[in-house]
Amino acid sequence: MGDLMGEQPALGIVGAGAFGTALAALVGAAGHDVVLWSAAADVVDEINRERTSHARLPDVRLAERVRATVDPAELAARARFIVLAVSSTEARERARTLGQVVDGRHMLVHAIGALAGPDDARLSQVLDEETPARRIGALAGPALPADLAAGRFAAMVCASPFDEVTREARRLLNLPPTLRLYTSRDLPGVEMSATLSGAYSVAFGMADSLEMGPGPRAVLVTRVVAEAQRVVTAMGGESRTFTGLAGLGNLLVRTAPGTGDHAPGYQFGRALARGGASGERIPDSVRAVGAAVRLARRLHQRAPVLEAIARVIDGQARPSEAAAALSDTVALEE
Amino acid sequence: MSQSRPVAEAENRLVRFNSDRDAILSLVTRRVTDRYVIGAENSPDASLEYVLNDVAYAETQRHERASSASGKRQLSRWRDLAGRLGRLNEVEKRAELERLVEHYARDIVGNFNPRVYRFANDVLPPALSMLFTPVSSFRQGLAALDSMSRRIQVEGELEAVRTACDLGTLVVTPTHSSNMDSIVIGLALKLARLPPVTYGAGKNLFSNPLISYFMHNLGAYRVDRRLKFGLYKDVLKEYSTVLLEHGYHSLFFPGGTRCRSNVIERRLKLGLLGTGLAAFRNGVMAGAAHRRIYVVPTTINYRLVLEAETLVEDYLAETGKSRYIIEDDEFSRVGRIFEFVRKMLVHEGAVVIRFGRPIDPFGNAIDDAGESIDRYGRRIDPSSYLVAAGGQVDADEQREGVYTRRLGEELSAAFRRETVLMSTHLVARAVFDAVVDRTRVSDIYRLLRLPASAVVVDREDVCRRVDHLRQRVAAAPELGRVEDRASGMSAADLLDDALRALTTYHTYPVLETSGDRIKVGAMKLCYYYRNRTAHIGADEGAA
Repeated sequence: MGDLMGEQPALGIVGAGAFGTALAALVGAAGHDVVLWSAAADVVDEINRERTSHARLPDVRLAERVRATVDPAELAARARFIVLAVSSTEARERARTLGQVVDGRHMLVHAIGALAGPDDARLSQVLDEETPARRIGALAGPALPADLAAGRFAAMVCASPFDEVTREARRLLNLPPTLRLYTSRDLPGVEMSATLSGAYSVAFGMADSLEMGPGPRAVLVTRVVAEAQRVVTAMGGESRTFTGLAGLGNLLVRTAPGTGDHAPGYQFGRALARGGASGERIPDSVRAVGAAVRLARRLHQRAPVLEAIARVIDGQARPSEAAAALSDTVALEE
Repeated sequence: MSQSRPVAEAENRLVRFNSDRDAILSLVTRRVTDRYVIGAENSPDASLEYVLNDVAYAETQRHERASSASGKRQLSRWRDLAGRLGRLNEVEKRAELERLVEHYARDIVGNFNPRVYRFANDVLPPALSMLFTPVSSFRQGLAALDSMSRRIQVEGELEAVRTACDLGTLVVTPTHSSNMDSIVIGLALKLARLPPVTYGAGKNLFSNPLISYFMHNLGAYRVDRRLKFGLYKDVLKEYSTVLLEHGYHSLFFPGGTRCRSNVIERRLKLGLLGTGLAAFRNGVMAGAAHRRIYVVPTTINYRLVLEAETLVEDYLAETGKSRYIIEDDEFSRVGRIFEFVRKMLVHEGAVVIRFGRPIDPFGNAIDDAGESIDRYGRRIDPSSYLVAAGGQVDADEQREGVYTRRLGEELSAAFRRETVLMSTHLVARAVFDAVVDRTRVSDIYRLLRLPASAVVVDREDVCRRVDHLRQRVAAAPELGRVEDRASGMSAADLLDDALRALTTYHTYPVLETSGDRIKVGAMKLCYYYRNRTAHIGADEGAA
């Protein structure tokens, strides 16, 4: 690996999607160097030449301090703190490539709200398996790319068992008034909360499309919180983590009116309820439903809400039938 | 493989201890004192007055019940310290702290006489076997030792361990089931042509003058489990760290005390384990990153455990609380340690010590050249894990705590992988499962209350289950391995082998045969031996 040659290390970002680009724009504008590694040569070119990324995040202008590259070795040489912001389906492959260029000095943090195939692993486990890095964490919370790019207030939590990882995350990413960064040691809790909040956003998409109304919607919120806390705890996390930024925070922002394209799980749920989601691209949050159901079963946790969403996605039940079945279950317990 | 420090030289490391002793003591004293002084400067909650008061309070409590004259003298000394504390200035407090640290460090180190060491290293094992066996002469003692050595089978990654011991310092970390473990591991190291190790033995073992004499001179240091305050623990940890930095191979039982349930240990004590990482970090900070520390996961596998009865009683009473009703004691509780060797002599394949492949203090595997590697076999520089965000190597207690937890997880996985399952474990598991399936009772406290007629199972069924269990273990190396001897037998022979052992070894038969039926004679012991396979999940297909 090349070395940093005495310069202040840059923030590394893997993936020039909407979130990665928005984070790069924000950190670059705050005066930190950023290295953005993307496999898409045209996107890299556009960022380096035009300082824009029209296809991923229109209306954003990236500071000169942001440099994009197609070379992972450059990323590893210039950055010690690296944020992985790609979809869950490409995470393992990216991590494997990263594993060839990083070493024990690097700190790796992912911002992926889903589990990775084929065995529904938490992304921190994937990073641990695929790279020699040990200081690993996760970033999650209600920070939409559009908000970050527009400088609107947003907050996230960075979780890692290593205090130095969360300290470094705060040094680089706590950028008020736009982004406020909170810290936690509950890595499994934050990862599971982020995954589950994506999964449940599908249920709220369906519920709103069926026009269930505020009463049933409120009941659904409470059932979701109780169920998610059971699953989070069974996975080794703390139950209260779900009621923080990574869980409830994520869920509320992704199910709020007007979140548009940045809440793909919610949109998918709406389309499902209208009977028209089959041809759409499967977002991470929908994949999270299947993974969460498998996990809950493996851990012997009752998860009627997740099971109901999964049945609708698999075409085994209509949304209205799933909602009715769920209401019956709800009546049994509090 | 480095030629600079061959095994023969490594074997002699303990001999040089006497010349290192003063340097080790003064380093331990200086480091611990400095750390407390800096801590006090940085936080009012860690003021020296609090630290000294904590020690004085704990020691006063401990000596309050003392009846001996020396105990009473100690009590008045500690009371005196507590009384003076408020009047001491910072310089005096520091001096008092230093005196205490040195006092505990000296208590831990004890005395070491290299001449006695040489004598002890050659003569102690036969002497011990004389102590433990009803033999009448030294010659017979030697013969007993020879037979005992043949009963101890050493296997595993011996070449890798020898390489690691040439290249660095070993931390041998065995599972812990019996009071005999430290003696057995000592013999095993000798049989494997590995160097002797130093280890912390409970201070109670030093109360017998003869054993104490030899313990000291085998390189054992004293751990006083009654001293539970932070200062003592820190002195102990620093002493272990400094020993490792000086290249003294060490032994810790990461399970802490003997495992009561016989389940392969999962919750490991990380305090002393972390001293391997601290020693490596100190080396890196002193510019000696090449001074490697290697942790050697080791399993001690007894076909029969001498203290099984008392251990499982302890376990059931502790976890069952009111649900465990202690019956009239049908077992003799008289200490029968002396029977250990004699019993070992009549039971073939008595104990297997298996040394696993060494790992680094971060839990990484090592290659044949002793270098740390990741899961893909890529070499890693272990010192890179100590580099802070600013680029410099530093000591970060929180970071090292997380690494050590990870090391503990790797160790407990290695314990399962390296466990050698013997006929007694396999048969006890098969019988236990058959009883559970037959009675539909799986709770141990209810099983213990079942009538004798309910705990009878078919021999054929047990054989079938044993075969199935052996196949499952063979297909999943992470679950352990079946002892060579046991895997070469038919299920029927293996069952007979286990029955022979389980009917004669304990004061009461664990299992008994009656025609083609097997009756559980002592459910708690059946449960104890079965527990060695508790990490292997229920098998739906076996019933």
